[in-house]
Amino acid sequence: MKIRVFCFLFLVASSASLLAQSQTPSLNSNSRDSATSSAQRPLTKLPPETILVRGAFSSASDSVTPVPESGTVSQDAFTDPYFGINYPLPRDWFQEYEGPPPSESGLYVLAQIGPRKDGPDSASMLITAQDLFFTPLPTTNALELNQFLNDHLQDYYKVEAAPTPMKIAGRTFSFFSYWSPAAELHWYVLAIDIRCHALQFVLTSRDTKLLDSLMLDLNRMKLPADVSATAGEGGGSVPVCIKDYAQDSNLVDRVDPIFTEHRFSPVPVRIIIDTQGKIKHIHFISAFPDQAKAISDALEQWKFKPYLRDGRPVEVETGILFGRVPHPVAPHPVAPSAVTPRATGAAVR
Amino acid sequence: MSTLRFVSLPLALLFAARIGLAQTDPGVQTASRGTGATIINPSNDPNGFTAFFNDGFNRFQEIETVSNSANTGLGPRFNSNQCSSCHAQPAVGGSGAATNPQFLIISSGVAPDDTLPSFVTATGPTVEARAPFFLNSSGEINTKAPNGGVEDLFTVTGRSDAGSCSLIQPNFAAYLAANDLIFRIPTPTFGAGLIENLDDSTLIANQVNNLKNTLGIAGTFNHSGNDGTITRFGWKAQNKSLHIFAGEAYNVEMGVSNELFTQDRPLPEEEQATGLPSACLNLSGTGYPEDTSNPTQTTNAAVLDDVSAFANFMRFLAPPPPGGVVLNGSQVPTSTIAAGSALFNSVGCANCHNPSPGVTQVSNFVPALSSVQVNAFSDIEIHKMGTRLADNVAQGSASGEEFRTAPLWGLGQRIFLLHDGRTTDLFTAIQDHKSSGSEATTVIENFNKLTTTQQQEVLDFLRSL
Repeated sequence: MKIRVFCFLFLVASSASLLAQSQTPSLNSNSRDSATSSAQRPLTKLPPETILVRGAFSSASDSVTPVPESGTVSQDAFTDPYFGINYPLPRDWFQEYEGPPPSESGLYVLAQIGPRKDGPDSASMLITAQDLFFTPLPTTNALELNQFLNDHLQDYYKVEAAPTPMKIAGRTFSFFSYWSPAAELHWYVLAIDIRCHALQFVLTSRDTKLLDSLMLDLNRMKLPADVSATAGEGGGSVPVCIKDYAQDSNLVDRVDPIFTEHRFSPVPVRIIIDTQGKIKHIHFISAFPDQAKAISDALEQWKFKPYLRDGRPVEVETGILFGRVPHPVAPHPVAPSAVTPRATGAAVR
Repeated sequence: MSTLRFVSLPLALLFAARIGLAQTDPGVQTASRGTGATIINPSNDPNGFTAFFNDGFNRFQEIETVSNSANTGLGPRFNSNQCSSCHAQPAVGGSGAATNPQFLIISSGVAPDDTLPSFVTATGPTVEARAPFFLNSSGEINTKAPNGGVEDLFTVTGRSDAGSCSLIQPNFAAYLAANDLIFRIPTPTFGAGLIENLDDSTLIANQVNNLKNTLGIAGTFNHSGNDGTITRFGWKAQNKSLHIFAGEAYNVEMGVSNELFTQDRPLPEEEQATGLPSACLNLSGTGYPEDTSNPTQTTNAAVLDDVSAFANFMRFLAPPPPGGVVLNGSQVPTSTIAAGSALFNSVGCANCHNPSPGVTQVSNFVPALSSVQVNAFSDIEIHKMGTRLADNVAQGSASGEEFRTAPLWGLGQRIFLLHDGRTTDLFTAIQDHKSSGSEATTVIENFNKLTTTQQQEVLDFLRSL
């Protein structure tokens, strides 16, 4: 019965995936995964510069629901449907190389873009997202992250501007900048909370005027209406983010995974719980296939109490860490600037 | 003729300008820096390990035969017959030498009936070969069957001390045709005892510290399948200790079974089938393992098995001392080296190539290994290095795209660079860190934003290590 249900879901998901392919990048849309797909056919020659033997990597229970690494850089824009971002690239900019897969600490390299001509006169932009469910750093939001990095710069860097709020594209970012006297390089770091993650836009150049103009250029970016660590109101296209929601007090049914291999890697898992309390989407940020299978089998059987906001059930996005705890847990600082919990108490803690 | 001169003059000027402007790898520094000495202070060696270092040093250079000698056990498959033939540069215990000893293995009669693989050249890197995937009978790559094991280059077939053992070499031509062959060069072992003596807590604290970056970098560790602790030796940090490192190499590279790896090793293809033929077993006539401890010997050091002696030798090798750098015949000023060091840190290289990941714990061997700052220029983590460096070989939890941050101490006297020795040019090696899926791309982009003069300073600094 379970197999039949799975097959049906698979067919539905596949069809939906095909329908959605034109607008929704799936996990199979990047070149690393394309290479894996092509490897299903017999090969007489391994394609050069192809990664086929992967260890722990990201995957999801369906290819329709956007995941943070769904972002793409096309000829003229960076778009990420999970975060709801669209950034038209500066003229003649492009992405030469994709970033690495998500890390086991929940760090995503969403894009690394720059001009076609590299060199001392150029600039570049790195766009990252740190999952706030799993960060080992003692930060709970983008402002704290920027403040923490500012406070812990290595001694070969000098702060140029301490963290301060800055309006970009109609939203409030945290901005700080630092530079290297030796390298004569400057870094502008803009951070903002979007949907359970702290996003950073890191601009680098020797030329501060160029950096200033690039920062202004970011005003052309389109961001989602609700930019905060707690994200949307839930129940719509964007669930509400709640750290550590998968606690016994919220669970009705819970089955622990049965692992078949003795692994030492942590498995950070992001889930979306529907309004009925069932898990509707599982995203493995970093997992070996056998770990993902065992956890999927278990999570299929989990049932939560529906989360209520203003008396009505809404979807919840939360994180669960399986496997080995990756890092010592750092104490969180007392940060008066931290995101103020909403009336519902649904802040990322 | 005059036209030719007219054309060649600007070309020559252009070439001269390029030499003057472009960054140049100062190359291998040949002046002696004292690399290869022991870390042990003989006047502060309460347990007498100096004798163990010296004994290991000698055994590291012994030539193994198949049978009928004092050092038996070679083969039936092997890559070389002597530890120091591969670990040679710039001193015993190092990496591959300028002259590849494997090139002479057949002509010198060590593997008389074999054919020299096309990728083994006289002045190329000393290598081991691995096939990421098995091939099926029609020569297609079976991506459902990862291999990744070492395909030893040579056999003992035809040797007078190998009896009737007859083996064929791996089908390297087929693997090459399928682009299904990767290479690894020997890792240098200077200072390895210090890396071995870093506690996991030190490395974990360093890892958390490394996450404070705006470079998109977040590495992890490889772990021992036995006890779950951090492993640290080998290109993918797949080996826990120098004992394991030595035992595996003795077995895999030289074919000598030992107390850690107790059987003769077949090729991965043979292991999938019926193993080694009986005519190729116990060729030494000693029984197994071929290397054991020697209880009847009369010095403490001589009682040890070879693997323990090798481990002691590597454990007590001092870190490679830094030194001056000569570029195009001129000594590079120390101020330039210092500037290069600052730039190396500033662009982000030091995030992974950490100048010092920590201080060693108290050693039960020798005081010289206790409470020492380990200036290895490595975080001992494994990082995703992208399509250009990926080799599709998984070891432990390290995937086909992950590698340990290679310690850079001793880089000034290294000839072949990166895990497969693909280049001897530092600038090329740096640029190869940048590709799709690599954690290092942003750092290399930062490096590329430096002026040519600054980039030169970084290269000069690296050759001072």
